[in-house]
Amino acid sequence: MNNRIQAMYALLIAVAMFVAAWFFMQSVHGGPSSARAAVAARAAAPVAIDSTRCVASAEWMKSHHMQLLNKWRHDSVREGNRTHVTSDGRHFDKSLNTCLGCHASNPMFCFMCHEYANVKPTCWNCHVSPMEATK
Amino acid sequence: MNQQRRDFLRKAGLGAIAGLGAAAGMFPLFALEKTDLSGFSEKPMPGKVRWGMLIDTRKCREGCTECIARCHHDHNVPDFGKTKNEVKWIWKSGYEEAFPTASRQFQQPEVKERKVLTLCNHCAEAPCTRACPTEATFRRWDGIVSMDYHRCIGCRFCMAACPYGSRSFNWQDPRPAVKELTTAYPTRERGVVEKCNFCAERLVKGQLPACVDSCPERALLFGDLNDPNSGLRRALDENETMQRKPELGTLPSLFYII
Repeated sequence: MNNRIQAMYALLIAVAMFVAAWFFMQSVHGGPSSARAAVAARAAAPVAIDSTRCVASAEWMKSHHMQLLNKWRHDSVREGNRTHVTSDGRHFDKSLNTCLGCHASNPMFCFMCHEYANVKPTCWNCHVSPMEATK
Repeated sequence: MNQQRRDFLRKAGLGAIAGLGAAAGMFPLFALEKTDLSGFSEKPMPGKVRWGMLIDTRKCREGCTECIARCHHDHNVPDFGKTKNEVKWIWKSGYEEAFPTASRQFQQPEVKERKVLTLCNHCAEAPCTRACPTEATFRRWDGIVSMDYHRCIGCRFCMAACPYGSRSFNWQDPRPAVKELTTAYPTRERGVVEKCNFCAERLVKGQLPACVDSCPERALLFGDLNDPNSGLRRALDENETMQRKPELGTLPSLFYII
């Protein structure tokens, strides 16, 4: 009796390990396809900047621009995927320069809000801020 | 130990092994990740680039620093004025410093006195990328050993790992030490390591690296090492070339004509 219960446990563990291994393989399989996309993107055609509208709504950008910048950096620097496609099908180069292409027209654009919110991002320790660029 | 528990553990272990075994048998080969051999292979990999460079030291003019000036200007490389904390992306070293293990005895005195242009070798087996604990430096899909300065914690393991001295550390804030600030490219900050990026920012625009572009003697040849028909590969076919410290197995992407 006891033996049968133990055998059942063994079978259960066998199934559990199989399922775990299966999911592991699935997740690994998802990996290299992004690398392949990166290679395809190597000869990225220059993207004309549509300066009439931002990549997302102002509301969303106010709360999520840092996540967007982090994602853009990861995609363009590490994966080589340089083109951002908005939900309505417009294309943008994933670069801080895309943002500054429009927003640098007001050199205080970043600073005013960061000042108001009392946040001190370290972007301008390295990147040349529009304040310096206009100097 | 309780006999029952031992029996249970034995059976559970067998079950786990059986489960893994069944899983291994059922996965088709294509589900497994392929090893990417493009960095090592002599043969070209379709759709895969590996940027490389051939430096003709015979053409490189004595005393000329065009490429260095252009590169350091375009990338906002600081000049602290001292060799102790020098930051360099591309520089000239003596023949014996560049090729300390070149085996030829009684090398021609003219060659021994020659200055050799040195920069990051963008190794296929880059030791710096293995040393980096934060993956701030990594080998890109196109063979460039790139750096993400945002992630660099300044531990300088990569500097210890690089056998070519291609990496420099910013001991001070580099911004005031940049002579003419280029707004097209960022600077770095205090406490990060920096190095040549093979002009990734120019390549993406379809331009040649600044050093290649600025050389008045056309001593630098840039191209795809994985494409057997590229000008670079043809030049490698035609000339006797050497790499720096090839015995280390780093597989540099830079080649030299002596």
